[in-house]
Amino acid sequence: MTATAEQAGLEQAASKARLARWARPALGFLLPVALAVFWEIAVRMGLSNGRLVPPPSVIWTTFTDLARTGELQTHALATLTRVAAGFVCGVAAGTIVGAITGYSVLSHRLVDPTLQALRSIPSIAWVPLFILWFGIFEASKIILIAVGVFFPVYLGVMGAVISVDRKIVEVGRVFRLSGPAMVRRILLPAVMPAYVISLRAGLGLGWMFVVAAEFLGASTGLGFLLIDGQQLGKPAQIVAAIVAFAILGKTTDWIIALVAAPFLRWEDRFART
Amino acid sequence: MLVLDRVGKTYPNGVRALDGISLDVAPGEILVVIGGSGCGKSTMLRAISGLDTPTQGRVVFDGVVISEPHEEIGIIFQEPRLLPWLRVADNVGFGLEDCPKEERRTRVAGALERVGLTEKARVWPRELSGGQAQRVAIARALVPRPQVLLLDEPFSALDAFTRADLQDHLLGLWADLKPTLVMVTHDVEEAIVLADRIVVMRPHPGRVYEEIKCDLPRPRDRQSAAFDFAKRRVLAALDRSLDRLIVTDDGETRAAAGGGLWW
Repeated sequence: MTATAEQAGLEQAASKARLARWARPALGFLLPVALAVFWEIAVRMGLSNGRLVPPPSVIWTTFTDLARTGELQTHALATLTRVAAGFVCGVAAGTIVGAITGYSVLSHRLVDPTLQALRSIPSIAWVPLFILWFGIFEASKIILIAVGVFFPVYLGVMGAVISVDRKIVEVGRVFRLSGPAMVRRILLPAVMPAYVISLRAGLGLGWMFVVAAEFLGASTGLGFLLIDGQQLGKPAQIVAAIVAFAILGKTTDWIIALVAAPFLRWEDRFART
Repeated sequence: MLVLDRVGKTYPNGVRALDGISLDVAPGEILVVIGGSGCGKSTMLRAISGLDTPTQGRVVFDGVVISEPHEEIGIIFQEPRLLPWLRVADNVGFGLEDCPKEERRTRVAGALERVGLTEKARVWPRELSGGQAQRVAIARALVPRPQVLLLDEPFSALDAFTRADLQDHLLGLWADLKPTLVMVTHDVEEAIVLADRIVVMRPHPGRVYEEIKCDLPRPRDRQSAAFDFAKRRVLAALDRSLDRLIVTDDGETRAAAGGGLWW
């Protein structure tokens, strides 16, 4: 009797936990969904004509239309390719330069001031110069994105390498690790958490810079869809492109977090999101 | 045989931390170094470990001058210094990277069993208590079976019960493997529980002030009169090392007021 009651209690607790697992993320959807529903109703009731701010239903139709004709996929793929190429280049450069300047005081003194000065230049300022140097096609766009990705990765890696605990490094010394072994077994795992954060920050900037790049002379890409929508007076297309940006940005960020998670399970974190 | 030959250390800022330390430590001996703060105990231990090099004199182990960490010399720090990204078993096996997998596993398991943490093998360091973490650090240092084990105030951050427990643990491990132990502490009782010989140091600059042989039979009863006597002797030596003695009217020497606060 008591056993079954206990079991029932356990089951109840389990179903409660299951509910909580789904309910908690769902909480994040509450605000945007409520806003969308509110606007849809407002337009339907004639409180607004919805021409400049299209209601969700119109955006959805535009989105599916673009997807059906294959336009959306083409543009999304073009943008994604640019971001991927720029991200890889930026991460590679940022990691290498960051590791070197973090490790060697001399190279830090030599290189860091210049890089910090370059970092404060607004991204758009580079565009005319890059177009002159690298032409109007892909190269200038990818380089612009790589520049955007470079700085957060550089800063993150450099800071992380500088702040690796001397006491932990001494453990490596006591066990007489060689240079490469020290990097692989002590430095790399120690900088991993900061590195993942800098990668995610870099990716975020990559998505920002791709729009800047595509605003200036592109015939494909989600940024082109934005400009096209503005010039032809199609606000629904603009919002559809923005939604596509949001989905792609969030998904790629999530992929990094997911890939990194097994390397960071050891972290003693204050809160788990 | 571990030999310190007039070891001195002057830091770049001109501070002399150690001055002419000469000591011979026999294989299997437990040497405890005790002294007030700033007497260079830790500096000396770091010189023996090869993490720092002395500016004068030299440390010689089995005929080899120590200038960098030596494979037969292990060290346990005041903090456990476990690598947080490795599980307990991998932390313990950290120094056995070159070992065949099977041997490594059995040695790690053996070491964990000796420190009584077999069931924690798959746990992350963050999930351990302070005493457990320090036991893992001991296991990690002992797994490569070093001939010399250096301990830099390894139990000072722990509560009294855990400390006594770990002292007994350490003695058990020492009885198994008989490494040379050189331990720095500022706990007189700890020194007497463990030591074959106690070296009292005095500060500014760090020098050996007095050596006290400690041959109470093991296991040592912390409550016994002999233990208490030894404790008084060491305390008195510490007080003298800090010039805290006065001569009373009837010719007896006693510690000056506040003389007990030697640390």
